[in-house]
Amino acid sequence: MPVAEPSLRDEYAAAAERVAGRALEALRGLGGAVVPATPLPRAELAAVRVLGPDVFAPWLLSGTGEPCEPAVLETAADARVVFPAGVPNGAADQGTSALAWSDWAVALLLARARGPGTGEADAPAGTRRRGAAPAPPEPNGPPYRGRWHPWSLRMAHLAPLALPVLDGPVHDAARRDALALARGAVRATLRRDHRTAARLARWLAWLAHTGAPCPVEPEPLLSALALTGDGSARTHLHLAIARRLSTGRRP
Amino acid sequence: MTDNHVLSLAQQLSSRALDWLHAAHRSGFGALPAGAAVDPTDPDDAYKPIGEAALAGSLILRDGVAGPRGMQAAQEMLDFGWRQLRSGDLLYERQLRHTLLTDPMETYVHFVRAGYRHRALDELLGALAGLRSVHVSEMLPNRRLAVANARRTIGIDQPVDWPALAAATWLGALPEPWAVDWSTGYDITHTVFHLTDWGALPDGLPAPVAAYLRDWLPVWVDIWLEAGQWDLVGELLAVDSCIGEPVCGSEPWEQLASVQHPDGLTPRDADPVDGDPGTAFKDNEHTAVVAVVAGTVTLARALGAAAPPAAPAPA
Repeated sequence: MPVAEPSLRDEYAAAAERVAGRALEALRGLGGAVVPATPLPRAELAAVRVLGPDVFAPWLLSGTGEPCEPAVLETAADARVVFPAGVPNGAADQGTSALAWSDWAVALLLARARGPGTGEADAPAGTRRRGAAPAPPEPNGPPYRGRWHPWSLRMAHLAPLALPVLDGPVHDAARRDALALARGAVRATLRRDHRTAARLARWLAWLAHTGAPCPVEPEPLLSALALTGDGSARTHLHLAIARRLSTGRRP
Repeated sequence: MTDNHVLSLAQQLSSRALDWLHAAHRSGFGALPAGAAVDPTDPDDAYKPIGEAALAGSLILRDGVAGPRGMQAAQEMLDFGWRQLRSGDLLYERQLRHTLLTDPMETYVHFVRAGYRHRALDELLGALAGLRSVHVSEMLPNRRLAVANARRTIGIDQPVDWPALAAATWLGALPEPWAVDWSTGYDITHTVFHLTDWGALPDGLPAPVAAYLRDWLPVWVDIWLEAGQWDLVGELLAVDSCIGEPVCGSEPWEQLASVQHPDGLTPRDADPVDGDPGTAFKDNEHTAVVAVVAGTVTLARALGAAAPPAAPAPA
């Protein structure tokens, strides 16, 4: 039936907002678990799959040295089993490519959270290799062909990779083409495309966090986006992560 | 080196816009009302467009990148404007009556650039430049640059602290590029036009400002193209050429060329063009001037047009 898929999508989108909201509260130090005790409803599991590495953000950015919530580890691993990745359909398929990168990042974070030598088992199919770190889905990161606009949109989809600990070809691309990222962030802000602006501002904050040169000061941009944002928990989560990366302070 | 495709588009856009402007003036548009007074009811109505057409004509003659037909059209438009201003008498009388007004000088400068002179106005402007009052009158920082550049071109010998004037503008502060708006877009373009004397002095722009513009012009051009603000896009493309090697590529030129009408009318924005020729002229003459300026400056910089000669001393 034509209505079945949209309603399921709506249900998963609502769940993604709920999980993002919990991650946001945890990141702000307001307590509560990112993932409630299992077993989770299928929609919540789908939401964890959608958010990918962002469910690890409170753990990575807390600065407390505490171990990651066991429920996060368990759910992140289960989500990939219940919702396996499709077969990537070339570089043009941005959604599939972003999911492959998300899986790569989650596998790395699971390996790190569980300890050395555990990454290979969690690596997504087709990216496994010897050692703890799974192979990246695109060895050179998103190709930049001199057109900052489409490239920055692609990087916006990969914003969940802008986290401490993670580093790879996408991050190399961000460092290499910081101006293209900044132009994309400025363009999205001026167009009132808050979600894209927040995602790209997160990359700029990540650059600042790593000490790389950043063509735009992230802080004033993050403040402006927080005031004019689209109100979604996912966008606020991007901004909160960005602020934490940029300043090291609790958002 | 500027892309040949860009140069071809710049030449096409500019020559068509000039054809339209020239034809409109020959049809009588852009003329002052009969018996025009020193104090027009609405200076923007016809008085300002005369100065704008003179700007376009003077740059065509200065840079010498148009063909013989374009050069002749430019000269005829300047002659037309100068006649409308009663060979400068109207400017002189207006300046004499209003010490602090700058529009007579800012109109006169474009005629001076093309070799026209009004002896009494030169003497008056020289005398006024010695008044403290004239130098401290209240105005926006980019307007202060316009006045300084007019004095420079006319040849009024005055010490000018260009870096300080530049630093006082929005652009000079290198602000957050996402906090720009449409009106500030014009402040930016005019800051560049006056500091570089319409592209003749690319080094007139402080190096950090030029670098800032190279970073953000492509974004601003992109968003105002999307908004259909062709007039502002044209000004930003002129800026792109004023600061050195252009960075915006051929796409915005293609889009501007695609919205230009076959007769050369260049719409100011994406709204429908008014069917009345008089209203259409009034609405879109500025954008035709912008197209001529953008194309001329782009061609001149790419072809290495010589720097303009120093302004002759007022007679």
